[in-house]
Amino acid sequence: MHELSMADAIVKTILDIAEKNDAEEIIEVTIELGKLTLLNPEQLKFMLEVISEDTLLDGAEFKMEIIPVEIECGSCNYTGSIDSDELDHFTPILSCPQCGERDLKVISGRECNIKQIKIEKRE
Amino acid sequence: MHKVAEIEVQHDIIIANKKLAKRNQRILDKADVFAIDVLGAIGSGKTSLIEVLIQRMNHKIGVIAGDVISKFDAGRFKKYNVPVVGLNTGKECHLDAHLVEHALEDLPLPAIDVLFIENVGNLICPVDFDLGSHLRMVVISVSEGDDTVEKHPLIFKDADVVVINKVDIADAVGADEEKMEADVLRLNPDVVVIKSSLKTGEGVENILQALEEYINESRLYIKESQR
Repeated sequence: MHELSMADAIVKTILDIAEKNDAEEIIEVTIELGKLTLLNPEQLKFMLEVISEDTLLDGAEFKMEIIPVEIECGSCNYTGSIDSDELDHFTPILSCPQCGERDLKVISGRECNIKQIKIEKRE
Repeated sequence: MHKVAEIEVQHDIIIANKKLAKRNQRILDKADVFAIDVLGAIGSGKTSLIEVLIQRMNHKIGVIAGDVISKFDAGRFKKYNVPVVGLNTGKECHLDAHLVEHALEDLPLPAIDVLFIENVGNLICPVDFDLGSHLRMVVISVSEGDDTVEKHPLIFKDADVVVINKVDIADAVGADEEKMEADVLRLNPDVVVIKSSLKTGEGVENILQALEEYINESRLYIKESQR
């Protein structure tokens, strides 16, 4: 639901960086999206494309890399991934795969990170 | 000649908001203000609960009223002669740390002990956006259906206090408030869950007590960290 404000923040950040690097065109953008964010990758991509119109980002390819969930269990000290394929993206009820504990620290899976941009610039 | 360059950006929008939120918390700590982010569904009783707390708490209260159009809730709080800042989010479905930072600039912080930040009625979007508050209180009501916790787990995972409101009409709407409480505790074993009815007054004392405990703990923590 808040894909629009995320997309807006992403586009502003990218345009700022592209300008500082004298980009004439932005070809590709890679975004890391955690499985636990309540962001829908398809909706986010759509919003990014809409907001990018008539900017340096117009026509750029947006690549989404989905980051799996990793947790640290305070009960049995298990650290690592959770088989989140079994989880519905929108109902991530987490429990430790080793001991079943539900009180966990989430190490990764909550990212909305602009990882990399590919630009074209004059030499 | 043109060349293609790859630029490592590594800028996380959620972390950027978190950094702003931390800055907000430092501003609040410095002014000795305890901030409570009040989240919950539309019509669950967030505004009514804050109205009750303004009248019952023995603190100087301030309110940030966040809403798509904030003047309605802000107007309700102003009747109690407390400092109020309305935050219009327009089309946005949540408050973020940047909006709250500006609201803090407009509040007389030295004259406030406890600041309520009423978020937009929504169980999904506010989850990703820390505001810098010291406590997250989620308000839901039985009229949303007793499966509402299961359907929106993340907001309960991050909550410190959960209020299940309107229990006086649970039978009438066919909702099992015990199930709702069990669902919350399953997701977040450390959370304080209080069943209430703001209409009859049930549970209000428990809410007051829970908040006071958090406020006292926080004061001790701030004093220790400033030593």
